[in-house]
Amino acid sequence: MIRTTKREVARRVFSKEFNASKFKVGGEGEKEAVYVLTPLGLRCNRLFIVGVLLEKDEVRPDSDMWRIRISDPTGSFLGFVSKFQPDALDSIADINPPEIVAVTAKAKLLQRDDRVLPLIRPENINISDFETRDYWIIETARATLRRIKAIEKGDDKLAIEKYHPNIEEYRKAVIEALMRLKEEQAILEEERLEEKKERKEEEEKDLGFKLDEEIIDLSDFEI
Amino acid sequence: MDENRFQRMVEDIYEMFKSYGVTKKEIETRLRLLLFEFKVPEEEARRTIINGLRKNYNIPRVDLKPALAKISEIEPNKWVSLKAKVIQLWEPNSPIISQTGLIGDETGITRFVVWAKANKTRLEEGKCYLFEKVVIDEFMGIKSVKVTSASEIREIDEQIEVKEELRELEVVGALVSIQQNSGLLQVCKICGRTVKAGTCMEHGKVETTDVLRIRGVLDDGEKIYDLILDEKVISSLTGMGLKEARKLAEEHLDRGVVLLELKKRLLGKYLKVKGEIRFRMLTVTSAEFYRPKILEEVEKALKEVEA
Repeated sequence: MIRTTKREVARRVFSKEFNASKFKVGGEGEKEAVYVLTPLGLRCNRLFIVGVLLEKDEVRPDSDMWRIRISDPTGSFLGFVSKFQPDALDSIADINPPEIVAVTAKAKLLQRDDRVLPLIRPENINISDFETRDYWIIETARATLRRIKAIEKGDDKLAIEKYHPNIEEYRKAVIEALMRLKEEQAILEEERLEEKKERKEEEEKDLGFKLDEEIIDLSDFEI
Repeated sequence: MDENRFQRMVEDIYEMFKSYGVTKKEIETRLRLLLFEFKVPEEEARRTIINGLRKNYNIPRVDLKPALAKISEIEPNKWVSLKAKVIQLWEPNSPIISQTGLIGDETGITRFVVWAKANKTRLEEGKCYLFEKVVIDEFMGIKSVKVTSASEIREIDEQIEVKEELRELEVVGALVSIQQNSGLLQVCKICGRTVKAGTCMEHGKVETTDVLRIRGVLDDGEKIYDLILDEKVISSLTGMGLKEARKLAEEHLDRGVVLLELKKRLLGKYLKVKGEIRFRMLTVTSAEFYRPKILEEVEKALKEVEA
């Protein structure tokens, strides 16, 4: 298909990094998109997020504008859904927190006086699952690491100059997210093994049920 | 203008006239005079020399054939001749087009269009042809070769090795968008285009066929891929084929329900797809939900932290 303008890539970023954004770049000239510049130098216009929908509140009664909060391992994204995002508005009606959701959203910076508020405007929202969420965390961790490395090398002059990012803080957040995922996986694996063992024992029990009981009975009797 | 380019221009013109006994020297002298002494623009110089030679040697215009060009070097609005292989034929979406699709040679591939008015014998996929006197057109940055009534096409007994016939690709990403012209669609039986309210833009009131199709965007965080999923692929992912989609639409008396259902099941999911890149569109031949071993992936990512 022929596009007259190029579609923006949906970037992967943890809320901790995104929420620390204070500056926009681009938007010069009619056709150039506006990007949120994060402390690690990501220029994002669109995001893909898989996380837990924690809150969903109508901004005013009957306004059909919803304020939502979606969490990831490092914090949460603030978002607004209104009639300008009809697909997202349709689906949000049927989704109630808490729920794992996958979201494609526009990245925005709301400017009020001297405060800036990073937020997202979802284009579509869908119920997702744990596996997808886990993979999103890994993907996002990796993307964050790549940015950290670029900053360390001094590649992104603009981000360094504007934010002087504390790289260790972000590296720590990435490691924590990955370690927690690893622990969860280990626990899941253990549960799986346990279940397997139990099932096996039960099968064995089924086979030698009467015999075992008789032996136990006998020993009980002896005592 | 550098010497190489100059020599190529001489070569091009010589190719056209060599069978009439014109010498390279003759062309070179005239061209040098016009280009370097009189500073005539390239195209003007070229045309003047061709016209001059034609007059001198009494050659009718129709007998002249533009020099053979390679697909990688074709430029808009130029008349050329090409030796190329027909890679793919597409369903023409308009009655003024007799055939359309892709041709390729050792240097690249390009679209082509044979106008119905050109009245040419039909090309076949996989065969090689000499396309003479075809013109290069450009629309929205995409070049295509137009075969008109002035053109000549002849099958040739040569095997042309096409560069990058179709690029096979396997990608993993999140399906971030499903476009509106997806789902259970009605298409015109004549041209295959989607029909709105039973009316084809080209053919008016027509008979229609149902198709199940998704146009979507797969996004890996660095790049995007425009996808087309056909009924087979959709059915392998969701269990919903054309039959099920029709049933669902009938139950709700609304075709839109199919699109909603597909969005619900596929949007935001990680997919691993295999397909062929055709002009920035990835025509998917197989797809599955991407389910990597999370523990292994975590270990890999943790190693990257240390590195």
